[in-house]
Amino acid sequence: MENNLITENKQKNKIEKAFEILKTMASKPSGLIGLTVVLFHVVLALISPYIAPYDYKAISPNTMLLAPSAEHWFGTDSLGRDVFTRTILGGRTALTVTFFGSLIALLWGGLLGIFCGLVGGKIDDVVMRVVDAFLSIPWILAMLLIVSLLGTSTEVLIPALGFFYGKGIVRVARAATHDVIAKDFIVSARARGHSNMSIIWNEIIPNVRDAILVEGAMRWSWMLLGFSSLSFLGFGVSPPTPDWGLMISNARGLMSFAYWSVIAPIVGLSSLIIGINLTADAFAKALGIDRSTKAPV
Amino acid sequence: MKYILKVFSATFMSLILSFSIANASSGVFKVSHDLGFGKDTNLDAITKGRLFQVVIKTQNRLVRPDMNGVPSPSLSTDWSANSDATEWTFNLRKGIYFHDGSAFDAPDVKYSLMRAKDPDIGSPVRKSLNVVEDIEVIDQHTVKMMLSTSFADFPLLLTDYRLRMIPEGSGDTIGQTGVGTGPFMVDKFDPEGTTILKANPEYWEGAPGVAEVHVIAIPDAQARIQALLTGQIDMNRYVPFNQKKIFDSNSKFTTTVIPTGNWRGVVMRTDTAPFDNPKVRKAFRLAVDRQELVDLVMGGAATVSCDTPVMPSDQYRLQMDCPQNISKAKNLLREAGFPNGIELTVYPASLEPTWPTIAEVVQQQVAKAGIKVNIEMVPSKGYWNEVWMKKPVSMTRWNQRPADTILHEAYHSGAKWNESYFKNADFDKNLADARSELDFNKRKTAYQNAQMTLWEQSGTMIPYHVSRLVVTSSKVKNLDAVDHFSIQWHKVKVD
Repeated sequence: MENNLITENKQKNKIEKAFEILKTMASKPSGLIGLTVVLFHVVLALISPYIAPYDYKAISPNTMLLAPSAEHWFGTDSLGRDVFTRTILGGRTALTVTFFGSLIALLWGGLLGIFCGLVGGKIDDVVMRVVDAFLSIPWILAMLLIVSLLGTSTEVLIPALGFFYGKGIVRVARAATHDVIAKDFIVSARARGHSNMSIIWNEIIPNVRDAILVEGAMRWSWMLLGFSSLSFLGFGVSPPTPDWGLMISNARGLMSFAYWSVIAPIVGLSSLIIGINLTADAFAKALGIDRSTKAPV
Repeated sequence: MKYILKVFSATFMSLILSFSIANASSGVFKVSHDLGFGKDTNLDAITKGRLFQVVIKTQNRLVRPDMNGVPSPSLSTDWSANSDATEWTFNLRKGIYFHDGSAFDAPDVKYSLMRAKDPDIGSPVRKSLNVVEDIEVIDQHTVKMMLSTSFADFPLLLTDYRLRMIPEGSGDTIGQTGVGTGPFMVDKFDPEGTTILKANPEYWEGAPGVAEVHVIAIPDAQARIQALLTGQIDMNRYVPFNQKKIFDSNSKFTTTVIPTGNWRGVVMRTDTAPFDNPKVRKAFRLAVDRQELVDLVMGGAATVSCDTPVMPSDQYRLQMDCPQNISKAKNLLREAGFPNGIELTVYPASLEPTWPTIAEVVQQQVAKAGIKVNIEMVPSKGYWNEVWMKKPVSMTRWNQRPADTILHEAYHSGAKWNESYFKNADFDKNLADARSELDFNKRKTAYQNAQMTLWEQSGTMIPYHVSRLVVTSSKVKNLDAVDHFSIQWHKVKVD
């Protein structure tokens, strides 16, 4: 009975804390704008299949490159497809792929960074040099190599993006860990004979979690840009799936006379990236994290 | 008197000087290529990786197509055949020199053509040229070609854009030097950067209008459009029709629409399941709405084709209608044992700007017949080595060729570029019969029978023959409004 009460209280505290963070984030105009934009895109991604006015695949020579009108709010593209329909559906794949990709990046990058920070020594040296080596490879080249070999399915893109964007998180997590391992509670835990895993789980993660989450949020926006770059180059999602990067790529040559087919996906992509950035910034400030050092202040 | 002489001499010298200046080559003509052959790119016209944007400017053929595609004199001034068209005698132009200073004569002709037949080289043009059994050097300026069979259209075969004359014995180096008798000489060969050609002042048709031609590697189609817009190149012969508006309203550019025999297509390997079943192949081809492809991809600027590679203006083309027929396509799939349809993946690259659009439109069209098409974009660089003739389904594009050449080269069972791995004894026999037939009507029937076999059996879906939208900088003058291989490059000027 008493245990249940304690768990309930902890849960309540967590919800209260989350609400408090959200409130702090929304208290600044930039945070409020960021949160609103991200929320708008997430909701749109969820409901867009039900509100899309046309079939996103429907091609027709009779409706090629129509200017915006009451019938086609954002006009039509070079294959006669409705740009509004494709734009509101265009963020779904990008959001899904990059959200799960960011989770993977957080998971492996965060855990590896914490582990290296804790154990130090030769293992730390070797792992960090390997991470440095990977950091020196331009991610776009490595991604192009991977998709050339394994294809462009989401099953390939999610882990591949998660891997490449997790490298930076390793460094942040390691640095944050270095800040806490010298503290008394870690020394005490060691003195009590706790294992490394126990120390990581019970002592370090609660203290570096915020820094890693903020870094993960930032990586999400970079990953979104990266994923759209891949689509722009033709190596993201496959046609006819609506995707902002792919839409921009297909319509870029028509910009001078059919601007509508390229402006809508550009606005969609850039607003989401800006929104995520503003949100991550506000999140960091709400947690009291200085993003210039990527560590708790 | 002295004064009059002085004035007269000065006037005379001025006239000579201004005449020389007017005829001197000047300016730089900048064009691009797509680097489609990657590391294999070379200047040997008969190889797979030939950089034709260079060799068509540095080397000549014996016979070239005139503005209407009719064989006309080039390095050969005239020709004649014996009564059954099995022996052809060609008289060569005199006083012609290669860029390396050596004289062009009959042994060079024999060397150039017999080399294209060499199995060790494995030229894609070898299959077409196999009809030539031997070449006899009659004298320094006459050759006689002995054919294995009668071939009334033999000079047409020699208009092939790859059958270029090179110096005897230069086979080992030609891939890098590109030496020929053409209006331009290779100054620097850099397939991944800028290849520089210099004007050949001794060119037999007259000095070229421009001093240099720069051939710049730009793999991406949109990047080539931007290069044209920004003045990095002066000509783009692959501008998609949906971008015509950009240039139409801009006085800095000139647009020309040229009907051609060039075609684009989707190739199914006939040696790979499920495309080893002719019913599956025909089902795919029947499910395509060709007119809609013409309208959506080419803005109407193309001629519908029913899977024949023979160009619309060719006398041997089979004329027929082939509307989309979804129910028949479904029936064929059912008969082939695929009642629930099939799934396939195509691999377009942006080196041909219309491929991704063709793939997208075809994807929607054939879905109605239960054929699911996945599209996976692949890099342009090395497409022809890594994807084409390797994957079960690939995209293709061909430049125009005479009927006999294209039918042999793309479909004959022994052809190196038989991209669909098509093997059909009746088809091969019809081609052989057509070549040896001296009666025009019978020859036409044989070629058309071969095309009917393609309609029934082939693995290549050819929706149309394209009209080419050529956009040039308005500085470019005297460019013939014909396809690549008929242009007289020495006439081009850049203001």
